[in-house]
Amino acid sequence: MVDVYHPKTLEEALQFRSSTGAVPFSGGTDIMVRYRTSHGVLPDLPWPIVLLGHLKELQYLRLRKGSLCIGAETTLTDVMDHELTPPLLKQAIGLMAAPALRNLGTLAGNIGNASPAGDAVCALIALDASIELASPRGRRVVSLDLFIVGPGRTILAEDELITEIIVPIGEGHISWYKKVGTRRANALSKLSVSADWAVDDNVLTHVRIALGAVAPVVLRCRDIEDDMTGMKLPEIALQREDLMNRYKCSITPIDDQRSSAAYRKQAASNLVGAVLDEMTGGR
Amino acid sequence: MKERISSPVRRVDAYEKAGGYARYIADIPFDHLLYGKLVRTSIQRGRITGIALPDLPEGYRFISEGDIPPGGVNQINMITSDWPVFTTGEVRFCGQTIGLLVGPDRQVLHELHKAVAVTYDIEEGSSTIEEGLACRGGAFVGEDNIYVEHRLKKGDPDAAFSQADRIIEDVIETGFQEHVYMEPQGITVEYSNGQLVFHASCQCPFYIRKAVAPSVAMNLEDIIVHQVTTGGAFGGKEHFPDIIASALAVAAVAIQQPIQVVFERREDISYTPKRHPSQIIFRTALDRNNRIIAMDVDARINAGAYQSCSAVVLQRTMFSANSVYDLPNVSIRGRAVATNTVPSDAFRGFGAPQGIFAAEMHMSHVARLVGEEESEFKRRCFLKQGGRTVTNGTIHEQVLLEQMWQDISLESGYYEKLKSNPSGSFRGIGVSYYLHGGGFTGNGEQALIDSHVRLKGMKDGRVELLLSTVEMGQGLATTYRKIVASALGIDISRTIFLDPSTNRVPDSGPTVASRSIMVVGRLLQRAALQLKTCWDGTREETVEIGYEHPPWVEWNQETLQGDAYPAYSWGICVTEVEVDRASFEVETKGVWTIHEVGRAIDEQIVHGQVNGGVIQALGYASLEKLELKEGRFYQNTLADYMIPTSLDFPPVYSKLVENPYEYGPFGAKGLGELVFDGAAASFAAAVQHAIGRPVGRIPVTPEYIMELMSDE
Repeated sequence: MVDVYHPKTLEEALQFRSSTGAVPFSGGTDIMVRYRTSHGVLPDLPWPIVLLGHLKELQYLRLRKGSLCIGAETTLTDVMDHELTPPLLKQAIGLMAAPALRNLGTLAGNIGNASPAGDAVCALIALDASIELASPRGRRVVSLDLFIVGPGRTILAEDELITEIIVPIGEGHISWYKKVGTRRANALSKLSVSADWAVDDNVLTHVRIALGAVAPVVLRCRDIEDDMTGMKLPEIALQREDLMNRYKCSITPIDDQRSSAAYRKQAASNLVGAVLDEMTGGR
Repeated sequence: MKERISSPVRRVDAYEKAGGYARYIADIPFDHLLYGKLVRTSIQRGRITGIALPDLPEGYRFISEGDIPPGGVNQINMITSDWPVFTTGEVRFCGQTIGLLVGPDRQVLHELHKAVAVTYDIEEGSSTIEEGLACRGGAFVGEDNIYVEHRLKKGDPDAAFSQADRIIEDVIETGFQEHVYMEPQGITVEYSNGQLVFHASCQCPFYIRKAVAPSVAMNLEDIIVHQVTTGGAFGGKEHFPDIIASALAVAAVAIQQPIQVVFERREDISYTPKRHPSQIIFRTALDRNNRIIAMDVDARINAGAYQSCSAVVLQRTMFSANSVYDLPNVSIRGRAVATNTVPSDAFRGFGAPQGIFAAEMHMSHVARLVGEEESEFKRRCFLKQGGRTVTNGTIHEQVLLEQMWQDISLESGYYEKLKSNPSGSFRGIGVSYYLHGGGFTGNGEQALIDSHVRLKGMKDGRVELLLSTVEMGQGLATTYRKIVASALGIDISRTIFLDPSTNRVPDSGPTVASRSIMVVGRLLQRAALQLKTCWDGTREETVEIGYEHPPWVEWNQETLQGDAYPAYSWGICVTEVEVDRASFEVETKGVWTIHEVGRAIDEQIVHGQVNGGVIQALGYASLEKLELKEGRFYQNTLADYMIPTSLDFPPVYSKLVENPYEYGPFGAKGLGELVFDGAAASFAAAVQHAIGRPVGRIPVTPEYIMELMSDE
């Protein structure tokens, strides 16, 4: 048996969190599955939890200073269905689990879970999202890319909660998403690739490519992105194999129950190739 | 009924099942019900050195070998009796029953279960066929880890091999498959007045009775098994309920209160039997015109840690190892190999899918190597009426494969697609041909089962069907009632079929082996025709009928020679795929099937079986990967063990061809397994055409395709 806290407001939630160290519980779609036991038996939760999914003040989508700000407890369905949501994020969420789960799951949950296979995280990192963290001590904003530091590990402090996801809206950006799941629907990712870029006068003016489930965290190779930025598209097409190889060398996938390291390496590299083809109009 | 028999009627169980009104074992209340939780071994192989139990509160018991009543034995009476009810010393696989914790509160049981500590001396175990054959860690069955070995010979293969112009060798492998019946295993037992009463989700009520009797030293008549609404089985509830029931029997006799065991999905995937993995090695001799003159087959199946029904599964694998082909000279060796894995057991097809897959893939490999188009190469070897099987039996019926191929090749656009998508174009089309022998192998129906059915005409004009073959989702309650109603010439609403109990129905045998319609349905038809002559619908009359073997079927069980099956059902499956060049994912563009099952008792139910069987086989072929890691299944949840969703495959085109069988009811033959047997090979053949490389095993995952593509 564990303590379960049901706050009425964010303020109360922060008090519970800071005074008890209770683990944040949004939709519960991971926690309840991971710690389920059997018929007629409570889940074996190893720690107290603070329920957050019902907090209306953390459920919104609005534009602020050129960014889309999403309340951390907005459900995946609501994020996916909203007109302001970038297509890349819509696509990623649309391939997550099944509608029933998306009706409960939240962005904060997907982020806090810190799985390298988190599909929304992969898209958000390609969109250069940052997140707002709150505690009784105050608020801070950190880049999502820096927030997650390992499988299941984040820099969330003992007294903090994720309160908002901030997604910059890039004018004229092009995006590309591919999830290689264990099957065609209601599946977990073997790997995923999210890309967001912009082109001006045949020159790549900006690019971000995030790779999911091929390293301990969702991975962006900033050095490669920096090298590509400013290049003419035909030049990128010429360097296709070389760029694919650099990505291949940068990732460190594992063998697990869903796929193999060798496959993840090869498929990730091939998918980067597909991104480059889309970018340059090749093949 | 003026309608022809095949015209669909609404399934009699549609409303209660689709509406959620049906009550499964976990839904049925019992007074003073206790719950049971199995304590299992957690190592692959070794010996138990100690069992430390937590303090058990009042009302909680740990039932183990010491609770077996006087005169009882620690054995489950299956085809053999090697599997103990409770493990005492030797551990052969991870998940063997050590004991049963019983008590009133599931939360308390859960905590107690976590606190049981078992210590072991761990020994090295074997997981794969190769490891079993190599006796890794030492043999634990005989000297060689072989439960059963058989050899078959047709013609003179030695002479033919000595004249061969060319010999082609090949290895074909298939993996584990989990049944994923919708409802996990579950049984409730009661004990009162010296009688044990089981309420079980099961396929074979009389098997349970027979299995548990020796462990509690009771007479068969004092053990009653009620089958309750069963949410799918696929073979997984043929023998495994015996395992749970045996432990429950001992517990019920000791505690004398109702006890229920219902598995969790993870428990069910981790510890219940799977389809036998197989490894089948071919050597095929060709003459200078590239005609097959002989084939040598070495079939090995992974039987796991106890024998269960592996000897019989092995026979099906061997008898299917030439698929639908009549080759002049054949030798087949078959071995059921012991390994330290969960015992493999019955699963839709019962060994045939492995044999058919291997034979179909090997034949297509040979065709590719000699540069011939696969379907042409295979069709030249088709079995025909009067043709000889690998057991030197005769095909008695007319074989319609050629006509079926004309039809389905047109419907699927096979030849055009073959032409427009050359080998290696990342698009491919593949075909498989297959057959399934209906009923028990050889003289099993006669010698082992001897089934009986009873019809009871009542004063109110209704008729009750009394028999032990069960409705488990496949539609038998409907088709049985249809057969009786049609034969009697009454409306189906005047027939009654209740879930059977062993104390009120005769033993019509287990619900297995595609026998339920062909064999048992025939008994019902005969009984109905007899009842018609002596019952006018205003008084009670009972008719009981027993099995009669078709007179022309000859079989020698010692030598495995003769007609292994009285009749076969036939099928063709065409599959079209596209392989993604970057991720190697396979998209199935189309699936076309044509089947000959004698005559359909209900076309809608038959199409339901075709859809389910084909999709289940496509899952087996592409998605359903089950790996072992130190004797445990690595994929033990439905998030990791992937069965197909409705988006994974397109709708299946399904056509039927009639060819009535004299000894089947209204001409019907076996169906349920046939429709599983072929789709895997057609999928794999389509992939191998798409990627231009031979595929030698299933599941054909993107990972495996990448491996195949990387030997460039």
